[in-house]
Amino acid sequence: MAISNNSVHGRIEQARMELSATQVAAGLALVAALGFALLFLQEPMVHDSMHNFRHAAGVTCH
Amino acid sequence: MLADYVARGLKAGVVAGIAFGAFVALVATPLIRYAETFEHGHGAGPVVSETVTATVSVAGGVLLGILFGGVALGAAFYFLEPMIPGAAGTKSYVLAAAGFITVSGAPWLLFPPQPPGVEQALATDVRLTWYLAMMLVGGLGCGLSGYAYTRLRTSSGRPTAFIGALAAFALVPLVAAFGPANAASGPIPVELATAFRTITVAGQAGLWFVLASVHAWLLRRDRFDTPDDDDDEETALTDASGTVAAD
Repeated sequence: MAISNNSVHGRIEQARMELSATQVAAGLALVAALGFALLFLQEPMVHDSMHNFRHAAGVTCH
Repeated sequence: MLADYVARGLKAGVVAGIAFGAFVALVATPLIRYAETFEHGHGAGPVVSETVTATVSVAGGVLLGILFGGVALGAAFYFLEPMIPGAAGTKSYVLAAAGFITVSGAPWLLFPPQPPGVEQALATDVRLTWYLAMMLVGGLGCGLSGYAYTRLRTSSGRPTAFIGALAAFALVPLVAAFGPANAASGPIPVELATAFRTITVAGQAGLWFVLASVHAWLLRRDRFDTPDDDDDEETALTDASGTVAAD
């Protein structure tokens, strides 16, 4: 393979070959959704259920 | 190859998540319940029972570990490994420290962890926007710091590189100084609030430390398992010295 695997650029190129755009989009969406639900979602039921966790993790929650 | 890295990150995340879930269950929840005894009942109270809060919060702790593991020590480690300063065994710790600064350290400069019952001057959405902004600034500071270290190390040596890396972090408090003031007041004694903050910081630092330790261990194990590794050289060296000693 022409691309060096030992540079950030090489790793990005390799990931581009290994993954489809759909896989990347699905992965990013999953991470964003989980992160948002865990740390920032203010819907009352979620907020109250996550209350202790958010205080324990030091996230500003209410 | 990316998949292998993410899998390794997720494995470390499961271990760290379980540890953090235990911390939420055994340390944070009792402390929060105690802190809540100082609150004078405000309004309608929570919409879910204490048991639901306790259970979901522990699950949230486990999921947070898995999320950090998959994203930071999985995907981010894959892409950034060539430029993270340090030897193979220390790269996991360097990246975990950067993760801690990005996710918690930088936003805490503006909004330190608060025990329950504290009223804050700024509205929630303003705080969340600034929290996210500080996460970005924290990540940027870590990136700049790593870049400065790598660049300076080859040109000016390790001490200068270390100073340069520290200087790059000045960006974070500088931006935080421009953030809005957020007066906080609550019914909880100052000592308890300080103790709560210390325990929260220790909890997050502990989560990242476990994550890095398990990741470094998995990395070592996986690299020794692959053939043609320097493991063989080590054996050869031991044999050679053994022969010399026998002579």
